[in-house]
Amino acid sequence: MLLVEADGKALFQQAGIQVPAGVVVGKGESLALSGAGPWMVKAQVPVGGRGKAGGVVRCVDAEAVHAALARQLGLRLKGHAVQACLVEQAAAGMERYLALVIDPAGYGVRALFSAAGGVDIEQADNVESRLCPPDADAIAAAFAELAAREPDAWRGALVATGRRLAGLMLSHELLLAEINPLFVGGHGCVAGDAKVVVDLNAFDRQPELAALLRARPGIYADAVRKLDEGFDYVELDPEGEVGLVTTGAGLSMMLVDEMTARGMKPLNFLDIRTGQLRGSPARLIRVLEWIAAAPRVKVVLVNIFAGITDLGEFARLLADAVEQTPALRVPIVARLVGRGAAEARRVLSERMPGLAVEEELDAALARVARAAA
Amino acid sequence: MIATLSRATPVLMQGISGRMGRSHAAGMRAYGTNIVAGTATRDDLAEIDGVPVFRDCAAAVAATGAVASIAMVPPADVRAAVQEALEAGIRLVVTIAEGVPVHDALAVGRAVRAAGATWVGPSTPGLAVPGEMKLGFLPDAALRPGPVAIMSKSGTLSYEIGWRLAQAGLGQSLWVGVGGDPVKGVRFADLLDPFLSHARTAAIVLVGEVGGDEEEQFAAALAAAAAGADAAKPVFAVIAGQEAKEGVAMGHAGALTFGATGTMHSKRAALEQAGVRVFATMERLVADCVARLRG
Repeated sequence: MLLVEADGKALFQQAGIQVPAGVVVGKGESLALSGAGPWMVKAQVPVGGRGKAGGVVRCVDAEAVHAALARQLGLRLKGHAVQACLVEQAAAGMERYLALVIDPAGYGVRALFSAAGGVDIEQADNVESRLCPPDADAIAAAFAELAAREPDAWRGALVATGRRLAGLMLSHELLLAEINPLFVGGHGCVAGDAKVVVDLNAFDRQPELAALLRARPGIYADAVRKLDEGFDYVELDPEGEVGLVTTGAGLSMMLVDEMTARGMKPLNFLDIRTGQLRGSPARLIRVLEWIAAAPRVKVVLVNIFAGITDLGEFARLLADAVEQTPALRVPIVARLVGRGAAEARRVLSERMPGLAVEEELDAALARVARAAA
Repeated sequence: MIATLSRATPVLMQGISGRMGRSHAAGMRAYGTNIVAGTATRDDLAEIDGVPVFRDCAAAVAATGAVASIAMVPPADVRAAVQEALEAGIRLVVTIAEGVPVHDALAVGRAVRAAGATWVGPSTPGLAVPGEMKLGFLPDAALRPGPVAIMSKSGTLSYEIGWRLAQAGLGQSLWVGVGGDPVKGVRFADLLDPFLSHARTAAIVLVGEVGGDEEEQFAAALAAAAAGADAAKPVFAVIAGQEAKEGVAMGHAGALTFGATGTMHSKRAALEQAGVRVFATMERLVADCVARLRG
């Protein structure tokens, strides 16, 4: 997952990469600006293209900073609420692009550099790169080559920044570490932005990164939930009308896509991993509680294609979970296909006579649409 | 080596004595897989359900001639398990563990490539030659011999699509789950040549997801193949994740989009440019496959 800029910069700073002096401000928090402007006010949401989406504002004085904060905090940017902004002194200099990314087909780390950094890097055709083994010396050598035409005044600092970025990437098992722009000048190199993608599957051996996420439970709600619960529940739309109980990442995503295309409003994505329920309704109860707490939910759709899971047992756990979640007061539609489907129908008709069970997805979605109308 | 697998291929299961291993070994054997050996860390087991058990892969391969392996081990043990299989001379390794760290997968990928072997994983439901054998746990309910070769990042979404196709009378020639990890063994593009040259395959179904650039690389490989020869087999695709939330991995670590990276737009455009028929719903994909392949 993508870290917000302030956390990426905290990691950079720790690794010895210079960043502008800044402070993170949340809603209702006061801000005492010190030093001289201009300042940047930057929405702390984990998305790309923040600048173009209006999440980055340059402010000439303190008054403009406060106005920008008042405007930004509470906005939604690309599906994320803006819960905090980074206010920092605007850095200056020529703009470069420096990045490290995992190269999946090359089984290595790709070092990227461009002398034309800035917001349009995705369109730029002058990004040069080298595929390196996962080794800091090899990556530093690649950056020395890529930056060979840079002036003496900062070339050394630039290559040193690349080496520090490589150390950070390898020690913290990052998937992406990108600086764009990297401001260069007689003062050396300063990271104007930070895009860092972490690997949640490596968190057992990266306690520092886990602590970083847990320090911002609001911003990283989906990731913290995964660390705590061991499965994926992603809130898509807090105003969503259909709560989803689903398993399998691909099928759950596809269901969300197909429902959205039909004008329905799914609340969440869920990969509950039925194979890990191990005879306990606990996970289902957690999910039903979250769904019940959402203000606009009108119906729950359970969609399980059972490859290995026994649907008879799943149906019993679902019935247990619903009984133990009195807060859930909306109708449930279940679409169950695969192993044990007949037994599941029997169990549900006995224990939850009001619940509609369908075999065809279309029929289930039609029921959901009626319930949400 | 995927396209040459058959019910005769001798298979080893690493970790056969665990809860998962034992149950999946039974499921695979019931389907027709020739499991000739297992490995287990406990040394008091000579056999389990009739399959001889060895201390390590080298002993198992020496005694049985196994050439393919499926490792039923937890994510933290995948790296060592694959290394052990490679050192024993195994040519195809399938790993199923969910949650293998990407930097581990990098190391595994480098070792597999150096050995000239094939790896399907880190996390995948496996692969199957329907009607003959399977390595992993693709559900029997969705498997049915036929003309369509399936490649998929997602287990469940491919089950649903394979099942719907089978219900409509279209079975599969080969089925490979490449998994939803960002760094993996076999990728979509690696499967193009084996699928194109596979005699029993008449069409390809690609089940993709947002994130990464595997679909784009597959499209480039397909365009190159089409330019070079008359390798015309129709390719049908669905890609999940149009509505994925930016910056958050959607269940699969590889299903991560931000900015212009890994987006549906990029994948759909690249695939369509290469002549792939891309569908927004499972229903339309199945209907089109049926119309074109059975019509």
